[in-house]
Amino acid sequence: MSKDSQMRAAINQKLIEMGERERLKELLRAKLVECGWKDQLKAHCKDVIREKGLEHVTVEDLVTEVTPKGRALVPDSVKKELLQRIRAFLAQHATL
Amino acid sequence: MKMEEVSMSSLDNSKLEGLAQDILSDLVEDACLGLCFEVHRAVKQGYFFLDDTDQESMRDFEIVDQPGLDVFGQVYNQWKNKECVCPNCSRSIAASRFAPHLEKCLGMGRNSSRIANRRIVTGNNTNNKSESDQEDNDDVNDNDWSYGAEKKAKKRKSDKVCFFNYKKSVVEFPHLYINSVLVYLFVHL
Repeated sequence: MSKDSQMRAAINQKLIEMGERERLKELLRAKLVECGWKDQLKAHCKDVIREKGLEHVTVEDLVTEVTPKGRALVPDSVKKELLQRIRAFLAQHATL
Repeated sequence: MKMEEVSMSSLDNSKLEGLAQDILSDLVEDACLGLCFEVHRAVKQGYFFLDDTDQESMRDFEIVDQPGLDVFGQVYNQWKNKECVCPNCSRSIAASRFAPHLEKCLGMGRNSSRIANRRIVTGNNTNNKSESDQEDNDDVNDNDWSYGAEKKAKKRKSDKVCFFNYKKSVVEFPHLYINSVLVYLFVHL
């Protein structure tokens, strides 16, 4: 268990150090804008804000309302592409 | 570094796959959080709902899809038979003929130097002419001077007397003509 979490921490460290995490984030962001994910979520945010009232809405509200939907709405093709890149990274650095 | 190598080598495929999934969901969560911050900031700064309009004004700017009309609902060939007023000679010309007319009227294009020469020489020889006479000369220049200049001048003889007189004067008083050319060179070079 502790070995496993250590390993995860090491990989995450590696991702950040190599700058790969930033690159993946940017790629994901661009893909999500491209496929309309961002617009869909924004529309959802609008509903949430109207419901709660403009003044009373907090970041926590938005996160709890938006994150589940955000996860579900990511298209499979985007997921596949990201996973491919992550796997490639892992393979490259697991064999080192 | 050493620890990492040891732990990495002990990975099997299913664990790697799980790790990849975790990283992906981390990234997606990051993206969601980023969007939430962005929206929250927009709400608190008051620019989140700026692009919203009511349904009525949206209907005003709907794209028109009817035969004979463009997307704004206007007749699209309404300019087809339009007449333009020439800024130089104030005559109205059909839009399709306007460009060739303007070329001649302003003295540009192929015949420009000849027309310009003639205009300057005419101006020198008949500098006591009135304003309206000079406008008549613009009319004369509308013709293509590369051929049949004399014939056209004769055809318009009645109202182009000044110009005709000038042509005669070149024949009868060549020294005057040379004089005016010298003046032109002096002024322009």
